[in-house]
Amino acid sequence: MRIVRDSLAGTLESSDALVRVSPTDGGERDVSINSSVMAQFGTQITEVVQDTLDKMGVSQGQIVVEDKGALDCTLRARVQAAVLRACADEATGTTDASTSVDWSLL
Amino acid sequence: MLEEIDLSTVTPGVDHTEMDAVAQFLASHDLDLDGDLDIILVARHFGELIGCAALAGGIVKCVAVAQHAQGLNLLPHLMTELSYIAHARGHAHLFVYTKPRYQDLFTSCGFHPIVAVPDQVVMMENTPRGIRGYTEDLRNYRRIRDKVGAVVLNANPFTKGHQHLLREAARDCDYLHVFVVAEDASYFPFTDRLALVRAGVAEMSERDHIHVHPGTTYVVSKATFPSYFLKDSGLVDMCATAVDLLIFREHIAPALGVTHRYVGTEPFCRVTRQYNTDMHYWLERRDLPPSFAAPVQVVEIPRVAAGDEPGSQAISATNVRRLLELGDLDQLRPLVPDPTFALLAAKYAPDAPPPPQRASTRPC
Repeated sequence: MRIVRDSLAGTLESSDALVRVSPTDGGERDVSINSSVMAQFGTQITEVVQDTLDKMGVSQGQIVVEDKGALDCTLRARVQAAVLRACADEATGTTDASTSVDWSLL
Repeated sequence: MLEEIDLSTVTPGVDHTEMDAVAQFLASHDLDLDGDLDIILVARHFGELIGCAALAGGIVKCVAVAQHAQGLNLLPHLMTELSYIAHARGHAHLFVYTKPRYQDLFTSCGFHPIVAVPDQVVMMENTPRGIRGYTEDLRNYRRIRDKVGAVVLNANPFTKGHQHLLREAARDCDYLHVFVVAEDASYFPFTDRLALVRAGVAEMSERDHIHVHPGTTYVVSKATFPSYFLKDSGLVDMCATAVDLLIFREHIAPALGVTHRYVGTEPFCRVTRQYNTDMHYWLERRDLPPSFAAPVQVVEIPRVAAGDEPGSQAISATNVRRLLELGDLDQLRPLVPDPTFALLAAKYAPDAPPPPQRASTRPC
Protein backbone atom coordinates (compact mmCIF):
# COMPACT_ATOMS: atom_id res chain seq x y z
CA MET A 1 0.00 0.00 0.00
CA ARG A 2 1.20 3.45 -0.84
CA ILE A 3 1.33 6.15 1.82
CA VAL A 4 -0.08 9.35 0.33
CA ARG A 5 -0.97 11.55 3.30
CA ASP A 6 -0.16 12.18 6.94
CA SER A 7 -2.14 10.27 9.49
CA LEU A 8 -2.41 9.68 13.20
CA ALA A 9 -3.80 6.86 15.31
CA GLY A 10 -3.83 6.10 19.01
CA THR A 11 -3.11 8.20 22.08
CA LEU A 12 -0.31 8.95 24.51
CA GLU A 13 -2.20 7.36 27.41
CA SER A 14 -0.55 4.59 29.39
CA SER A 15 -0.90 1.15 27.70
CA ASP A 16 -1.50 2.74 24.32
CA ALA A 17 0.65 4.01 21.47
CA LEU A 18 0.48 7.02 19.18
CA VAL A 19 1.39 6.17 15.59
CA ARG A 20 2.17 8.80 12.96
CA VAL A 21 2.53 7.96 9.30
CA SER A 22 3.82 10.41 6.67
CA PRO A 23 4.56 10.05 2.98
CA THR A 24 8.16 10.32 1.75
CA ASP A 25 9.58 11.03 -1.69
CA GLY A 26 10.76 7.57 -2.53
CA GLY A 27 13.40 5.89 -0.43
CA GLU A 28 12.89 3.06 1.96
CA ARG A 29 10.44 2.52 4.76
CA ASP A 30 11.64 4.56 7.71
CA VAL A 31 10.44 3.36 11.11
CA SER A 32 11.28 5.14 14.36
CA ILE A 33 10.08 3.67 17.63
CA ASN A 34 10.22 5.28 21.00
CA SER A 35 8.85 3.40 23.98
CA SER A 36 8.63 3.83 27.71
CA VAL A 37 9.49 0.13 27.95
CA MET A 38 12.13 0.04 25.22
CA ALA A 39 14.70 -1.58 27.49
CA GLN A 40 12.48 -4.54 28.38
CA PHE A 41 10.44 -5.06 25.22
CA GLY A 42 12.18 -3.07 22.49
CA THR A 43 12.93 -6.07 20.29
CA GLN A 44 9.41 -7.40 20.47
CA ILE A 45 7.83 -3.99 19.86
CA THR A 46 10.00 -3.50 16.78
CA GLU A 47 9.06 -6.97 15.52
CA VAL A 48 5.33 -6.33 15.93
CA VAL A 49 5.51 -2.98 14.12
CA GLN A 50 7.68 -4.26 11.26
CA ASP A 51 5.60 -7.41 10.88
CA THR A 52 2.34 -5.42 10.71
CA LEU A 53 3.82 -3.09 8.08
CA ASP A 54 5.14 -6.06 6.06
CA LYS A 55 1.74 -7.75 6.07
CA MET A 56 0.08 -4.56 4.87
CA GLY A 57 2.63 -4.20 2.08
CA VAL A 58 3.97 -0.82 3.20
CA SER A 59 7.32 -0.35 1.49
CA GLN A 60 7.74 3.43 1.71
CA GLY A 61 6.87 6.23 4.09
CA GLN A 62 7.83 7.38 7.49
CA ILE A 63 6.35 5.66 10.52
CA VAL A 64 6.84 7.08 14.00
CA VAL A 65 5.64 5.08 16.99
CA GLU A 66 5.42 6.65 20.42
CA ASP A 67 4.67 3.67 22.62
CA LYS A 68 3.44 3.87 26.19
CA GLY A 69 3.54 0.16 26.99
CA ALA A 70 0.83 -1.05 24.61
CA LEU A 71 0.11 -4.77 24.35
CA ASP A 72 0.99 -6.36 21.01
CA CYS A 73 -2.63 -6.45 19.88
CA THR A 74 -3.07 -2.73 20.66
CA LEU A 75 0.14 -1.81 18.93
CA ARG A 76 -0.82 -3.81 15.84
CA ALA A 77 -4.25 -2.18 15.75
CA ARG A 78 -2.80 1.33 16.03
CA VAL A 79 -0.28 0.71 13.26
CA GLN A 80 -3.01 -0.76 11.02
CA ALA A 81 -5.33 2.17 11.66
CA ALA A 82 -2.64 4.77 10.95
CA VAL A 83 -1.58 3.04 7.72
CA LEU A 84 -5.18 2.65 6.48
CA ARG A 85 -5.80 6.34 7.13
CA ALA A 86 -2.65 7.30 5.24
CA CYS A 87 -2.80 5.19 2.13
CA ALA A 88 -4.40 5.13 -1.27
CA ASP A 89 -5.35 2.00 -3.09
CA GLU A 90 -3.10 1.30 -6.04
CA ALA A 91 -5.45 -1.09 -7.80
CA THR A 92 -8.57 1.07 -7.82
CA GLY A 93 -6.89 4.46 -7.52
CA THR A 94 -9.35 5.50 -4.83
CA THR A 95 -8.30 7.20 -1.65
CA ASP A 96 -10.24 4.77 0.49
CA ALA A 97 -8.18 1.64 1.00
CA SER A 98 -10.63 -0.15 3.27
CA THR A 99 -12.54 -1.76 0.42
CA SER A 100 -9.67 -3.79 -0.96
CA VAL A 101 -7.66 -4.69 2.11
CA ASP A 102 -7.09 -8.37 2.56
CA TRP A 103 -8.44 -8.39 6.08
CA SER A 104 -7.43 -12.00 6.66
CA LEU A 105 -3.79 -10.91 6.66
CA LEU A 106 -4.26 -8.53 9.56
CA MET B 1 -9.47 11.58 37.75
CA LEU B 2 -8.54 11.83 34.08
CA GLU B 3 -11.95 10.55 32.96
CA GLU B 4 -13.67 13.38 34.79
CA ILE B 5 -11.80 15.97 32.78
CA ASP B 6 -13.61 17.69 29.94
CA LEU B 7 -11.64 18.92 26.98
CA SER B 8 -13.06 21.70 24.84
CA THR B 9 -11.75 24.15 22.28
CA VAL B 10 -11.93 27.91 22.31
CA THR B 11 -11.61 30.03 19.19
CA PRO B 12 -9.94 33.38 19.87
CA GLY B 13 -12.03 36.38 18.95
CA VAL B 14 -15.30 34.46 19.26
CA ASP B 15 -15.74 33.46 22.87
CA HIS B 16 -14.61 36.43 24.96
CA THR B 17 -15.51 35.16 28.43
CA GLU B 18 -13.63 31.92 27.81
CA MET B 19 -10.66 33.88 26.46
CA ASP B 20 -10.56 36.01 29.60
CA ALA B 21 -10.55 32.88 31.74
CA VAL B 22 -7.69 31.41 29.71
CA ALA B 23 -5.72 34.66 29.85
CA GLN B 24 -6.14 34.76 33.62
CA PHE B 25 -5.12 31.13 33.95
CA LEU B 26 -2.00 31.69 31.83
CA ALA B 27 -1.12 34.84 33.75
CA SER B 28 -1.12 32.82 36.96
CA HIS B 29 1.54 30.63 35.32
CA ASP B 30 3.66 33.58 34.13
CA LEU B 31 2.59 33.12 30.54
CA ASP B 32 1.09 35.63 28.14
CA LEU B 33 -1.82 34.88 25.88
CA ASP B 34 -0.27 35.17 22.43
CA GLY B 35 -2.11 37.30 19.91
CA ASP B 36 -1.77 34.96 16.94
CA LEU B 37 -3.41 31.79 18.27
CA ASP B 38 -5.70 29.83 15.97
CA ILE B 39 -7.34 27.58 18.53
CA ILE B 40 -7.03 26.88 22.25
CA LEU B 41 -7.62 23.52 23.90
CA VAL B 42 -8.93 23.82 27.45
CA ALA B 43 -9.15 21.13 30.14
CA ARG B 44 -11.77 21.55 32.86
CA HIS B 45 -12.49 19.51 35.96
CA PHE B 46 -16.08 20.15 37.07
CA GLY B 47 -15.89 23.57 35.48
CA GLU B 48 -12.54 24.52 36.94
CA LEU B 49 -9.84 25.33 34.39
CA ILE B 50 -6.88 23.05 35.07
CA GLY B 51 -4.90 23.09 31.85
CA CYS B 52 -4.61 24.52 28.38
CA ALA B 53 -2.57 24.29 25.19
CA ALA B 54 -2.90 26.31 22.01
CA LEU B 55 -1.94 26.23 18.36
CA ALA B 56 -0.65 28.98 16.11
CA GLY B 57 -0.23 27.30 12.73
CA GLY B 58 2.01 24.34 13.47
CA ILE B 59 3.44 25.82 16.66
CA VAL B 60 2.23 24.67 20.06
CA LYS B 61 1.99 27.61 22.44
CA CYS B 62 0.59 28.67 25.80
CA VAL B 63 0.85 25.26 27.44
CA ALA B 64 0.06 25.25 31.15
CA VAL B 65 -1.19 22.75 33.73
CA ALA B 66 -2.48 23.87 37.12
CA GLN B 67 -0.23 23.07 40.06
CA HIS B 68 -2.70 20.73 41.76
CA ALA B 69 -3.39 18.86 38.51
CA GLN B 70 0.24 18.00 37.89
CA GLY B 71 1.10 14.32 38.14
CA LEU B 72 -2.20 13.26 36.57
CA ASN B 73 -0.69 12.73 33.15
CA LEU B 74 -2.74 15.65 31.87
CA LEU B 75 -0.03 16.92 29.50
CA PRO B 76 0.03 13.78 27.29
CA HIS B 77 -3.78 13.91 27.31
CA LEU B 78 -3.73 17.52 26.09
CA MET B 79 -0.97 16.88 23.55
CA THR B 80 -2.76 13.84 22.07
CA GLU B 81 -5.92 15.89 21.59
CA LEU B 82 -3.95 18.84 20.24
CA SER B 83 -2.14 16.55 17.77
CA TYR B 84 -5.49 15.43 16.34
CA ILE B 85 -6.77 19.01 16.20
CA ALA B 86 -3.58 20.15 14.44
CA HIS B 87 -3.77 17.19 12.09
CA ALA B 88 -7.34 18.08 11.13
CA ARG B 89 -6.14 21.63 10.43
CA GLY B 90 -3.39 20.35 8.14
CA HIS B 91 -0.42 20.57 10.51
CA ALA B 92 1.19 17.17 10.95
CA HIS B 93 4.58 18.65 11.80
CA LEU B 94 4.39 20.43 15.16
CA PHE B 95 6.90 22.57 17.02
CA VAL B 96 7.01 23.64 20.61
CA TYR B 97 9.12 26.14 22.49
CA THR B 98 9.57 25.37 26.15
CA LYS B 99 11.83 26.00 29.09
CA PRO B 100 14.76 23.56 29.35
CA ARG B 101 13.37 22.14 32.59
CA TYR B 102 10.19 20.98 30.81
CA GLN B 103 12.07 19.26 28.00
CA ASP B 104 11.58 15.78 29.49
CA LEU B 105 7.82 16.28 29.80
CA PHE B 106 7.54 17.04 26.09
CA THR B 107 9.94 14.22 25.23
CA SER B 108 7.47 11.82 26.83
CA CYS B 109 4.80 13.31 24.54
CA GLY B 110 6.81 12.38 21.45
CA PHE B 111 8.72 15.64 20.93
CA HIS B 112 12.39 15.72 20.02
CA PRO B 113 14.74 18.63 20.68
CA ILE B 114 16.03 20.62 17.70
CA VAL B 115 18.11 23.18 19.51
CA ALA B 116 18.52 24.61 22.98
CA VAL B 117 19.44 28.17 23.90
CA PRO B 118 21.33 27.63 27.16
CA ASP B 119 19.17 28.43 30.21
CA GLN B 120 16.45 30.04 28.09
CA VAL B 121 14.46 27.94 25.69
CA VAL B 122 14.38 24.59 23.93
CA MET B 123 12.77 24.21 20.53
CA MET B 124 11.30 20.78 19.88
CA GLU B 125 9.43 19.03 17.04
CA ASN B 126 7.13 16.03 17.02
CA THR B 127 9.23 13.82 14.78
CA PRO B 128 12.64 12.23 15.29
CA ARG B 129 13.36 12.59 11.57
CA GLY B 130 12.64 16.29 11.07
CA ILE B 131 15.88 18.23 11.33
CA ARG B 132 17.96 15.06 11.02
CA GLY B 133 16.21 14.03 7.82
CA TYR B 134 16.68 17.54 6.44
CA THR B 135 20.40 17.70 7.20
CA GLU B 136 20.90 14.22 5.71
CA ASP B 137 19.40 15.55 2.47
CA LEU B 138 21.56 18.67 2.69
CA ARG B 139 24.71 16.59 2.94
CA ASN B 140 24.20 15.60 -0.70
CA TYR B 141 24.97 19.21 -1.63
CA ARG B 142 28.11 19.43 0.44
CA ARG B 143 31.25 20.58 -1.38
CA ILE B 144 34.59 20.02 0.27
CA ARG B 145 36.32 23.41 0.05
CA ASP B 146 38.36 25.49 2.48
CA LYS B 147 35.98 28.40 2.62
CA VAL B 148 32.29 27.63 2.18
CA GLY B 149 29.79 30.49 2.46
CA ALA B 150 26.06 30.73 3.06
CA VAL B 151 23.51 33.47 2.48
CA VAL B 152 19.89 33.48 3.61
CA LEU B 153 17.60 35.72 1.56
CA ASN B 154 13.94 36.53 1.57
CA ALA B 155 14.40 38.19 -1.85
CA ASN B 156 11.06 39.96 -1.83
CA PRO B 157 11.76 40.50 -4.75
CA PHE B 158 15.33 39.70 -5.92
CA THR B 159 17.12 43.01 -6.62
CA LYS B 160 20.52 44.09 -7.91
CA GLY B 161 21.37 44.60 -4.26
CA HIS B 162 20.89 40.88 -3.61
CA GLN B 163 22.85 40.11 -6.76
CA HIS B 164 25.68 42.32 -5.52
CA LEU B 165 25.67 40.55 -2.15
CA LEU B 166 25.83 37.12 -3.80
CA ARG B 167 28.59 38.22 -6.19
CA GLU B 168 30.75 39.65 -3.39
CA ALA B 169 30.13 36.58 -1.23
CA ALA B 170 30.84 34.14 -4.06
CA ARG B 171 34.11 35.94 -4.85
CA ASP B 172 35.15 35.84 -1.22
CA CYS B 173 34.65 32.10 -0.72
CA ASP B 174 35.15 28.86 -2.68
CA TYR B 175 31.53 27.73 -2.75
CA LEU B 176 28.31 29.52 -1.82
CA HIS B 177 25.03 28.08 -0.59
CA VAL B 178 22.02 30.38 -0.94
CA PHE B 179 18.79 29.75 0.98
CA VAL B 180 15.57 31.43 -0.06
CA VAL B 181 13.14 31.88 2.85
CA ALA B 182 10.22 29.55 2.13
CA GLU B 183 7.60 31.09 4.37
CA ASP B 184 4.76 32.52 2.31
CA ALA B 185 4.26 35.61 4.44
CA SER B 186 5.76 38.06 1.96
CA TYR B 187 4.35 40.22 -0.83
CA PHE B 188 5.77 37.86 -3.45
CA PRO B 189 4.96 34.15 -3.14
CA PHE B 190 7.79 31.70 -2.47
CA THR B 191 7.70 30.08 -5.93
CA ASP B 192 8.21 33.47 -7.60
CA ARG B 193 10.94 34.53 -5.18
CA LEU B 194 12.83 31.24 -5.64
CA ALA B 195 12.49 31.37 -9.42
CA LEU B 196 13.79 34.96 -9.48
CA VAL B 197 16.81 34.12 -7.34
CA ARG B 198 17.61 31.16 -9.60
CA ALA B 199 17.19 33.28 -12.73
CA GLY B 200 19.25 36.08 -11.20
CA VAL B 201 22.06 33.71 -10.23
CA ALA B 202 22.02 32.06 -13.67
CA GLU B 203 23.06 35.34 -15.30
CA MET B 204 26.03 35.83 -12.96
CA SER B 205 29.53 34.76 -13.96
CA GLU B 206 30.00 33.13 -10.52
CA ARG B 207 27.00 30.80 -11.06
CA ASP B 208 29.15 27.64 -11.22
CA HIS B 209 29.95 27.74 -7.56
CA ILE B 210 26.64 28.98 -6.21
CA HIS B 211 23.86 26.61 -5.22
CA VAL B 212 20.36 27.96 -4.54
CA HIS B 213 18.39 25.93 -1.98
CA PRO B 214 14.69 26.32 -1.34
CA GLY B 215 14.34 27.23 2.33
CA THR B 216 12.50 25.04 4.82
CA THR B 217 10.86 25.40 8.18
CA TYR B 218 14.33 25.37 9.70
CA VAL B 219 15.58 28.53 7.95
CA VAL B 220 13.92 31.79 9.04
CA SER B 221 10.34 30.54 9.16
CA LYS B 222 7.40 31.34 11.37
CA ALA B 223 8.45 28.34 13.44
CA THR B 224 12.08 29.34 14.00
CA PHE B 225 11.63 33.08 14.02
CA PRO B 226 8.03 34.18 14.60
CA SER B 227 8.74 37.87 15.09
CA TYR B 228 10.51 38.32 11.74
CA PHE B 229 7.13 38.19 10.08
CA LEU B 230 5.67 40.69 12.55
CA LYS B 231 8.46 43.16 12.18
CA ASP B 232 6.20 46.13 11.72
CA SER B 233 5.83 45.98 15.48
CA GLY B 234 9.56 46.71 15.77
CA LEU B 235 9.93 44.04 18.41
CA VAL B 236 12.64 41.48 18.06
CA ASP B 237 12.73 38.68 20.49
CA MET B 238 16.31 37.81 21.40
CA CYS B 239 15.33 34.19 22.03
CA ALA B 240 13.71 33.86 18.64
CA THR B 241 16.79 35.03 16.75
CA ALA B 242 18.93 32.78 18.94
CA VAL B 243 16.86 29.71 18.03
CA ASP B 244 17.02 30.46 14.33
CA LEU B 245 20.74 31.19 14.38
CA LEU B 246 21.64 28.21 16.55
CA ILE B 247 19.72 25.86 14.24
CA PHE B 248 21.87 27.24 11.45
CA ARG B 249 25.06 26.80 13.44
CA GLU B 250 24.18 23.41 14.91
CA HIS B 251 22.56 21.65 11.98
CA ILE B 252 22.77 23.44 8.64
CA ALA B 253 26.35 24.73 8.75
CA PRO B 254 27.89 21.37 9.80
CA ALA B 255 25.85 19.49 7.16
CA LEU B 256 27.20 21.70 4.38
CA GLY B 257 30.57 22.47 5.92
CA VAL B 258 29.74 26.18 5.99
CA THR B 259 32.49 28.33 7.51
CA HIS B 260 31.24 31.84 6.67
CA ARG B 261 27.83 33.46 6.61
CA TYR B 262 27.39 36.57 4.49
CA VAL B 263 24.83 39.28 5.05
CA GLY B 264 24.17 42.74 3.66
CA THR B 265 24.53 45.72 5.97
CA GLU B 266 21.13 46.99 7.01
CA PRO B 267 20.62 50.76 6.89
CA PHE B 268 16.80 50.81 6.97
CA CYS B 269 15.02 48.03 8.78
CA ARG B 270 15.48 47.81 12.54
CA VAL B 271 14.47 44.16 12.82
CA THR B 272 16.92 43.03 10.15
CA ARG B 273 19.65 45.20 11.70
CA GLN B 274 19.05 43.57 15.07
CA TYR B 275 19.17 40.18 13.36
CA ASN B 276 22.59 41.04 11.91
CA THR B 277 23.89 42.02 15.33
CA ASP B 278 22.54 38.80 16.85
CA MET B 279 24.13 36.86 14.01
CA HIS B 280 27.57 37.98 15.12
CA TYR B 281 26.74 36.99 18.67
CA TRP B 282 25.24 33.53 18.17
CA LEU B 283 27.24 32.33 15.17
CA GLU B 284 30.67 33.57 16.27
CA ARG B 285 30.34 33.04 20.00
CA ARG B 286 33.02 30.70 21.36
CA ASP B 287 32.00 30.47 25.01
CA LEU B 288 29.09 28.07 24.42
CA PRO B 289 29.25 24.56 25.92
CA PRO B 290 31.61 22.26 23.98
CA SER B 291 28.65 20.26 22.67
CA PHE B 292 27.89 23.16 20.31
CA ALA B 293 29.14 23.13 16.74
CA ALA B 294 32.11 25.22 15.63
CA PRO B 295 31.58 28.96 15.17
CA VAL B 296 30.63 30.39 11.78
CA GLN B 297 32.30 33.64 10.75
CA VAL B 298 29.83 36.41 9.89
CA VAL B 299 30.81 38.79 7.08
CA GLU B 300 28.80 41.95 6.46
CA ILE B 301 28.87 43.24 2.93
CA PRO B 302 28.01 46.92 2.34
CA ARG B 303 24.91 47.49 0.29
CA VAL B 304 25.30 48.70 -3.25
CA ALA B 305 23.91 52.15 -4.04
CA ALA B 306 21.30 52.64 -6.73
CA GLY B 307 23.28 55.31 -8.61
CA ASP B 308 26.94 56.24 -9.14
CA GLU B 309 26.74 59.69 -7.59
CA PRO B 310 27.68 59.83 -3.88
CA GLY B 311 24.80 59.88 -1.43
CA SER B 312 22.40 57.94 -3.62
CA GLN B 313 20.22 55.52 -1.69
CA ALA B 314 21.13 51.86 -1.22
CA ILE B 315 18.96 49.40 -3.13
CA SER B 316 16.35 47.76 -0.97
CA ALA B 317 13.53 45.37 -1.76
CA THR B 318 11.23 47.62 0.30
CA ASN B 319 11.94 50.48 -2.08
CA VAL B 320 11.35 48.25 -5.09
CA ARG B 321 7.95 47.26 -3.71
CA ARG B 322 7.09 50.91 -3.08
CA LEU B 323 7.97 51.87 -6.66
CA LEU B 324 5.99 48.91 -7.92
CA GLU B 325 2.96 50.01 -5.95
CA LEU B 326 3.29 53.51 -7.42
CA GLY B 327 3.59 51.94 -10.86
CA ASP B 328 6.91 53.70 -11.43
CA LEU B 329 8.50 51.06 -13.66
CA ASP B 330 11.10 53.44 -15.14
CA GLN B 331 12.62 54.18 -11.76
CA LEU B 332 12.41 50.52 -10.84
CA ARG B 333 14.17 49.29 -13.98
CA PRO B 334 17.79 49.98 -12.86
CA LEU B 335 17.25 48.46 -9.40
CA VAL B 336 16.48 44.89 -10.42
CA PRO B 337 18.04 42.21 -12.66
CA ASP B 338 16.34 41.55 -16.01
CA PRO B 339 14.41 38.41 -14.98
CA THR B 340 12.95 40.21 -11.96
CA PHE B 341 11.93 43.19 -14.06
CA ALA B 342 10.32 40.94 -16.65
CA LEU B 343 8.22 39.21 -14.00
CA LEU B 344 7.31 42.42 -12.18
CA ALA B 345 6.22 44.12 -15.39
CA ALA B 346 4.23 41.11 -16.55
CA LYS B 347 2.59 39.97 -13.36
CA TYR B 348 2.73 42.64 -10.67
CA ALA B 349 2.57 46.06 -12.33
CA PRO B 350 -0.65 47.94 -11.45
CA ASP B 351 -2.07 47.51 -14.96
CA ALA B 352 -1.14 43.83 -15.17
CA PRO B 353 -4.03 41.43 -14.56
CA PRO B 354 -4.75 39.97 -12.04
CA PRO B 355 -3.33 41.65 -8.91
CA PRO B 356 -1.58 39.35 -6.40
CA GLN B 357 -2.98 38.55 -3.01
CA ARG B 358 -1.30 40.95 -0.62
CA ALA B 359 -0.03 39.71 2.70
CA SER B 360 -0.56 41.96 5.69
CA THR B 361 3.06 41.88 6.80
CA ARG B 362 5.90 42.56 4.41
CA PRO B 363 9.48 41.90 5.50
CA CYS B 364 12.22 43.38 3.36
